[in-house]
Amino acid sequence: MRCTKAREYLSRHLDDNLPPRETGELDRHLDDCAECRTYRSDLRIGQRLLAATEPELPENFDWKLQLQLNRTLREAAGEAVLPWHEDHSVDRWSFLKSFGTATAAGLAAVLTLAMFLGPQLMPRGAAVPVAGTGPAANEAMVAGWDASDRLPLYTRGSGGSIFRDGSGLQAVSGQSRSTPWQRPETVSGWSGHRQYDLQTIQRLRYENRRLQNILGQYQHRVRALQTYLDTTGTGQLDLRNDPRSDPGSGPTDQNEQ
Amino acid sequence: MILSRDEHLHGSPAQARVHLRDLRDEDLIVHVQNGQRKAYDELVARYKGRLFSFILRMVKDPTLAEELAQETLIRVYIHAEKYREIARFSTWVFTIATNLVRNKMRQRSRRPRLISLNPAPLDDEMPVDPPDPKSDPTETIEREELSRIMAEATSRIPEKYRIPFLLREVEQLSYEEIQQVTGLKLGTVRSRINRARTRFRNLIKPMLRNETLLAELEEIESRANEDKD
Repeated sequence: MRCTKAREYLSRHLDDNLPPRETGELDRHLDDCAECRTYRSDLRIGQRLLAATEPELPENFDWKLQLQLNRTLREAAGEAVLPWHEDHSVDRWSFLKSFGTATAAGLAAVLTLAMFLGPQLMPRGAAVPVAGTGPAANEAMVAGWDASDRLPLYTRGSGGSIFRDGSGLQAVSGQSRSTPWQRPETVSGWSGHRQYDLQTIQRLRYENRRLQNILGQYQHRVRALQTYLDTTGTGQLDLRNDPRSDPGSGPTDQNEQ
Repeated sequence: MILSRDEHLHGSPAQARVHLRDLRDEDLIVHVQNGQRKAYDELVARYKGRLFSFILRMVKDPTLAEELAQETLIRVYIHAEKYREIARFSTWVFTIATNLVRNKMRQRSRRPRLISLNPAPLDDEMPVDPPDPKSDPTETIEREELSRIMAEATSRIPEKYRIPFLLREVEQLSYEEIQQVTGLKLGTVRSRINRARTRFRNLIKPMLRNETLLAELEEIESRANEDKD
């Protein structure tokens, strides 16, 4: 056997990939060839060197991977989620179920606040505007809607959030006292156009997150007050003396910050 | 207390970790396909080091290697549902990594090259400079220095030989798995590994007769064994 062939066999032998007959031939060659024995020894040292010098992972690899994965998933959700446009087997309304409950809870909280605070904010004699019904009104709303960044369920004001000031919870959507309520200019229905509908979905999701934040903050506030009541043993709260009733400590809209 | 989906599946978080650690890669990816994020974390723990090591030895740039290793792991998550157990999971992962590396190297090769002012270009077969222990006999050869030399030697193996070589020597993939990853014929895989080994041996030949280096190698190996124990 020539050394070239023997070294080819040696490589396979190192990987346990040489049949027994060829292994016998190789062993016979190695018995007679000192150079090939040195070659075999060199290959083994090379393998040990590679194994011993395995590079170490950079710091924060996991953390950076997490960030990158989250970013990729967000991008994928923004661009390609909801394949109902192409895939008719998918229920196009199923995605509403995932955030419908939370949205309903958030809306209930806001409506409850509006019920308590609305009469105080509304100018005397002002009528609550009611959206028109019927095809004409619907067409007018659709015609007035465009792709600008307007929210479907309420209008974003200059300070657009629920704040607590010295006189208590009062302003919804950052509107001033003189214009406490403004008719929504956008529609919450579906245009049938994929791009517009995706934008509507994104806005609804944004709203959902915002309302969940607000609801969470109020729940936290209620718990704190309950704890305060439990610890003081009083049936009444004097908000004027309660340090937690400081105007700046009320729930704020984190999405607006 | 609100339990996450993973915790419901396997009891407490500690139990879940023990359970996942006992699973094969192929079972873990099925859990990932079912939306279990902790199974993905376990796969990441198993493969991040191997991927980084393989890619770094291919591209020789730690930042780029990290980026490509992360991209590989992200693709595993995003395309988990495409995996079918007709191949080992490791084969699938390294196929993704190899394709990413090849694309990146192709992009690099398309870029205009700067003309070197060095009149003597490096010969692929020219041995890499070994560390000179005689310059300071008291100084031991550091592992980092040894790693640098190995990386230098590996990078001088032509790419078409280097990929099967590293998949075999570093990742311990079988010839058949390397065949699946690279798309080469089995005979070509064997011969490329053999050629890469010969080149690698010629590149590190001066080091192989260096007693200090061999002593250092044994020390590194014994430290690694102690760490394992």
